[in-house]
Amino acid sequence: MAKTPYKPPTQSLLGQTFDTLFLLALVMAALFIPLYLGLAGGGKTTLELKDTTWAGMGQNATMQAQWEKLGFTAGPKTEENATSAAELISSRFDYSFEPVELAITALVVIGYFFIVFHWSKKEYRDVIDERFNNK
Amino acid sequence: MTQTTAVHGERISLLRVLGPGHVWALGVGIVLVGEYMGWNFAVGKGGAIAALIACWVAGLLYTCVAMIDSEVTSTVAAAGGQYAQAKHIVGPLMAFNVGLFLVFAYTMLEAANAITLGYLVQTVGSMAGFADTHDKPFIVLTIMFLAWLNYRGVYATLTFNLVITAIAFVAIWVLFFAVQPWSSVYMKHGDLLTGLPYGWLGVLAALHFGMWYYLGIEGTTQAAEEVRSPARALPLGTMTGIITLLIAATMTWYICAGIMPWEYLGQAVTPLFDAARLTDSTLLMVLLFIGTIFSTLASANGCINDASRAWFSMGRDRYLPQVFGAVHPKYRTPYRAIVFLVPVALVFAYFAPLDQVITFSILSGLLEYTFMAINVIMFRQKWPLGVIKRGYVHPFHPLPALVLLLLCSVTYFAVFLGYGTQLIAMMVFYIVASLWFAFHRYKFVRRGAQFTMPWPKPVGY
Amino acid sequence: MNNFQLLEYGAWGLSALLGLWMLIDLIRTDKTYSEELLTSSKEGEIEDALVIDPPHQGGHL
Repeated sequence: MAKTPYKPPTQSLLGQTFDTLFLLALVMAALFIPLYLGLAGGGKTTLELKDTTWAGMGQNATMQAQWEKLGFTAGPKTEENATSAAELISSRFDYSFEPVELAITALVVIGYFFIVFHWSKKEYRDVIDERFNNK
Repeated sequence: MTQTTAVHGERISLLRVLGPGHVWALGVGIVLVGEYMGWNFAVGKGGAIAALIACWVAGLLYTCVAMIDSEVTSTVAAAGGQYAQAKHIVGPLMAFNVGLFLVFAYTMLEAANAITLGYLVQTVGSMAGFADTHDKPFIVLTIMFLAWLNYRGVYATLTFNLVITAIAFVAIWVLFFAVQPWSSVYMKHGDLLTGLPYGWLGVLAALHFGMWYYLGIEGTTQAAEEVRSPARALPLGTMTGIITLLIAATMTWYICAGIMPWEYLGQAVTPLFDAARLTDSTLLMVLLFIGTIFSTLASANGCINDASRAWFSMGRDRYLPQVFGAVHPKYRTPYRAIVFLVPVALVFAYFAPLDQVITFSILSGLLEYTFMAINVIMFRQKWPLGVIKRGYVHPFHPLPALVLLLLCSVTYFAVFLGYGTQLIAMMVFYIVASLWFAFHRYKFVRRGAQFTMPWPKPVGY
Repeated sequence: MNNFQLLEYGAWGLSALLGLWMLIDLIRTDKTYSEELLTSSKEGEIEDALVIDPPHQGGHL
């Protein structure tokens, strides 16, 4: 049983240019829209440091020596004390999240793969039929 | 030059000139920069111990990736790597998505490297006492120079990569011995390690940047149409590559965690260079600075090579406009793809912040590994062992695929913790792109002809 | 104007030069050869012997 192979139309140069630009615009949108909306980046918090001496910030003698060698000083961060390590030491990530957000994200990722694999399977059957039944 | 037209049957292909050493340089060259910078954000995410756990867990993930990749690619030896694999094993829409993962993972990584290199040169300028220094000219120069090198031929490009990657790798070894890991002259793990500041959640979160130790090793497959003997050189280059990286990653962690407090290490820009600074040796400082510069160059260079191969092979199959499927008659490179990706990389490097660019790269990589796990299971189902000739057969199937799938899920969670919004933005992008491909672009693609491997019909069809 | 600024201008200049070189070569190549020949590469040709080399080898042997 011979099936006629699918003959794709030839795309004009204009169409090719347009397709390229469309894809580019899509990439830019994905990268810059979260940035533009200020949604990018993970949450951060700062530990309250009452005592900003080395010992007060939980740094032992070895740590202190290495900080100082790297050019840092103890004490609170101020104009005069711009090399203070307090900011680095007190910075922490905020890992709290909403379970609902996690569920939605998981659903999107799994759904995406499911649909892509499913659709690919349909297209793949065409490819195999044409490649192997048509000799 | 005279007008040349194609004689009937005359063809231009990419040039087969590379050996296993080049494959190693392509794989390791892209990744080694991760040892010089980036991996240490895992320390910030969960502490130094968490970073070591992440280093080994991610190492396991990538060992699975390398094994799976070696088997599939030694059989599906075509430029485009995982894209061509997806086309033959899963189907067109998946292949289109995988092609995009590849192009964006590498182009973003290239941009990240250029940003870092520009920053380093600017820092040197400031340290030398010059006021008002800029990084932009050096960012642009990096991208332009490496694109030009890639344009001019693959042999010179990857030989260059081999040399600079080897130097950067040796630099880590030299530093490792210079800090005398057997003594406590420099190494003070006992005083500097502090346990897990975020508990076990921090270990999970650290996986996000733990990937940075190895991200890009799977790019070796892109050279499939340019190596002299793909069935031998690709598995050999990939496997020696992942072993190199496991060694380098562990040494790097050992040096840095034993010499810097974790709060600093977790936010440092150039951790290995800082470690060299703390040894008080000018020679080591210079060596590690050169290593840092070379590793960023090697990485950007390999990324241009890989991204352009993927873009080229999609153009060749008309998944993308077919003009991109052109090969330069003299240099034998996918020259239009290389030139086209230059402005794309420039835009990212010029306007986007570093951590965003890195996250995009990591996410595209992660989607690709998820695909690879399912892909290899389907590969073994459709063409069981013995049906076709494989250059390499990976052991313990399906265990590596399942481990890979599990580790990918955990890493998605890690990315979600820090960059949930980007994860969603990225998914929306791939969903829209998929719709565009399925309902518009696919009509330009030949159906049966895109299956090019001389294999029998797959089982079940 | 200091030495570092000179270096910066040098970097800009060299970038422009390399970009221009690629662009000119791209246009010249596209004009010299037929589109049919340029896009004649096929996937899955493992044997190099099937491919007839064009006049130039690009410095590779």
